[in-house]
Amino acid sequence: MDKLTQTAWLIPLFPLAAFLILTALGRSYRRVGVLIGIVGSFAAFLFSLFIVVDRLGANQVDYNYSIEWLAIGDYSLRIGFEITNLTTLMLAVVTLVSLLVQLYSAGYMKDDERITVFYGYVSLFTFSMLGLVLSDNLLSFYIFWELVGVCSFLLIGFWFTLPKARAAAKKAFIVTRVGDVGLLLAILLLFWYMPEHALDFTTIQSVFDGQSGAITNGITTLIALLLFVGAIGKSGQFPLHVWLPDAMEGPTPISALIHAATMVAAGVFLIARTFDIFQDSAAAMETIAYVGGFTAIFAATIALAQNDIKRILAYSTVSQLGYMMMALGLGSLTGGIFHLFTHAFFKALLFLGAGSIIHAVHTQNINEMGGLRSKMSVTTWTFAIGALALIGIPPFSGFWSKDLILSAAWETNPLLFGAGLAAAFLTALYMSRLFFLVFMGKPSAASMDAQESRAVMTLPLIVLAVLAAVSGFVETPWNGWLGTWLTDGSEEAHASGAVIAYSVAVGLLGIYIGWLAYGKRSISFAAWHERLPWLVRLLERGYYNDELYSAVIIKPLKLLGNVLLAFDTYVIGGIVRIAGAAVSTAGRAAARLQNGQAQTYSLAAAIGLVVLVAAIVGRRFLP
Amino acid sequence: MFNIAITGEFVAFFTLSAIMICGAVLMLSLEKVVHMVISMAAVFIGLAGMFVLLEAEFVAFVQVLIYAGAVSILMIFGIMMTKHHAVEQEPSKPLHQTLAAIAAISLFGILFYAIRTTTFPEQQQPFQPGEDNTMAIGELLYTGYVIPFELLSVLLTVAFIGAIVIAKKEAD
Amino acid sequence: MLASYLTVAAMLFCIGLYGALVKRNAVVVLLCLELMLNAVNLNLVAFSKYGVVPSLTGQIFSLFTITVAAAEAAIGVAILIALFRMRGTVNVDEFDKMRR
Repeated sequence: MDKLTQTAWLIPLFPLAAFLILTALGRSYRRVGVLIGIVGSFAAFLFSLFIVVDRLGANQVDYNYSIEWLAIGDYSLRIGFEITNLTTLMLAVVTLVSLLVQLYSAGYMKDDERITVFYGYVSLFTFSMLGLVLSDNLLSFYIFWELVGVCSFLLIGFWFTLPKARAAAKKAFIVTRVGDVGLLLAILLLFWYMPEHALDFTTIQSVFDGQSGAITNGITTLIALLLFVGAIGKSGQFPLHVWLPDAMEGPTPISALIHAATMVAAGVFLIARTFDIFQDSAAAMETIAYVGGFTAIFAATIALAQNDIKRILAYSTVSQLGYMMMALGLGSLTGGIFHLFTHAFFKALLFLGAGSIIHAVHTQNINEMGGLRSKMSVTTWTFAIGALALIGIPPFSGFWSKDLILSAAWETNPLLFGAGLAAAFLTALYMSRLFFLVFMGKPSAASMDAQESRAVMTLPLIVLAVLAAVSGFVETPWNGWLGTWLTDGSEEAHASGAVIAYSVAVGLLGIYIGWLAYGKRSISFAAWHERLPWLVRLLERGYYNDELYSAVIIKPLKLLGNVLLAFDTYVIGGIVRIAGAAVSTAGRAAARLQNGQAQTYSLAAAIGLVVLVAAIVGRRFLP
Repeated sequence: MFNIAITGEFVAFFTLSAIMICGAVLMLSLEKVVHMVISMAAVFIGLAGMFVLLEAEFVAFVQVLIYAGAVSILMIFGIMMTKHHAVEQEPSKPLHQTLAAIAAISLFGILFYAIRTTTFPEQQQPFQPGEDNTMAIGELLYTGYVIPFELLSVLLTVAFIGAIVIAKKEAD
Repeated sequence: MLASYLTVAAMLFCIGLYGALVKRNAVVVLLCLELMLNAVNLNLVAFSKYGVVPSLTGQIFSLFTITVAAAEAAIGVAILIALFRMRGTVNVDEFDKMRR
């Protein structure tokens, strides 16, 4: 282990420093501010890259360094960082996407008045995410987890003058908080049951991996499920996915950074990090797999009916996260992390491409776009690569990762394999719909004077497109390098011709139907709209999830809140007001005594004398 | 209660106290300030009579001289120098008045109760005012009470000068 | 007989007290104070005759009281005149400097 890895704790400090400097500078230094943000994440990226290169060889030893943070009696709480191959991979992904997004934002947010604030938030977010990745114990992990949530809140609500953005920010914060409670409970349970209350990942791994029996099966399942609740909230799994589509109210680069590539990956990362706990509990694994598979199909069907380009991508993100969860639930750590890795690139690419389109046509409705192919060639080509990667067409990255997941399902669970395949078909359908509506056909009114974005915005697109195209080759059916590297060779690569054939066929079929319907327009879904209007509406409204939550949870809570408010206002407040009025009346009466007139004072003295004498005389009559 | 021997002293006492209490009540109820002073003078004179009853001729004499004479005149001067036709306005503070009445009446009640329930011990010897009351007092003043007497004279001087200083028109 | 004198004195005292507390004209208040002092004098003299040890001391004390009362009356009237010159009134309830 060389010096480089030992100083990995410096990586999050670069963005943190950038955030502090940006906050201190204020809003006036716009160009310098952008530069500071980019330099901060560039330094972090460079450092991460060195570490990746450093650890590329096989059989690297994990490095862990921690210092004592708190000592309570015999118990001491340690805080530190840990470098494993998994964290190294995450470091690289987070810093790279963050760097590219910041570059892109220099163009996208150019005219925003609060661009330095934006860069400050993004830097803070990068810091939190890196801290989360590097954490060596669940407690600091949780702190950074919450910090990530705060940054997400700030960035979704960045345009806080828009009521929708405010509402979306609050929604994201509150909904993810529901999941956070689960995570917190899991941490508390772990703290309670772990030998010597250890919370660091190494000990957790050894306790659960060694089947030491220190923790009973029931508790293990409970802990695993609670951890999964945390992941559900952060990674937008059903039923807590509702915040993710609404989070698209934030600036588009943020959608790319947080809601596609990094923050939503935190849930997957959490499960991957504590994978040993899950492996001890078959019930928890099954839950994860089924929730993930269901979410994958569920969100894909909703994405079919959406018209807002960013919402389509958001539901697509939910669906792909479902894939990752499914992979983890099926026991394929490599599959989940691999898909996370490729998804980060192609989804960031798609979001940034969407941002580029929105920047050009000033609308988010795909029905108002069209024919952008001739106007924005770079965006078109990179977007096409991203879409193909998402659909899973070889040789783009998404194909390899999706294939790995489907292979895992093929072997163990045919039902989930079917779900994955169906979701893949739906993905191909909605992505081709999106692509053909936006880029093909005749230019619409909105896209008539669209122009290609500036180089600072297209450059990240090109970089991401290259990565989306080739990053899949780190793990192919005949070369399981990533799996070996991540899991020290415990997970073997497995190839299955049938799986490859199925997934490619399904993808191509989806694209073909999409082309027929939205490119060639030889078939039409209009009949669906006429015959089954309720189905279309159901999908458009996302299965009325928001309405359901509103009716079942929000309204009763609001009612309760109003009752409590009324109680507070009229009962407690009334008592307080009466007490106040009594004291104030007494005070006013007493103040009238002090009217400056000697006669009043002497009258008081006389009455006092009478009372005194009466008291003394009165004692005679007492027994 | 009424089996008191109606002696001369009793009749005189009763008359004098009637005069005094009537004067005092009149003083409270009359409207013009000058009339109040006059009714007050009646009280002072009645009190002088009572002193005579109590065989304190010199004190009675001083009472007439100082109270009925000097103080009354002084008060009239005070009235003349402030408001000539001063009329006591109705006090507009009923609560204050009621409370004062309650305080005064209950104080009287307590005092009356105390007086009535106290059994005064028998006198060791009857009062002997001597042949010449004035002379006896003069002797006492210049023997046993000479120091308080001198102090009082100083007090009078100070009050006299002080009154002049305070009441003097601020010419400069 | 002593009780009768004391009762009359108490009556005078309470009437004086009531007047001193209620009357608005400062001159009348001074008069009421004199009345209270007189009531005390009556007590002193009554005790000097009917007390347990009758002596002239009571009379001498009443003389002192009368002297002090005279001084007080003089000073009081002087203060009144000064106040009247300053404020244009002798109504006690308009003297509320003590409030501030």
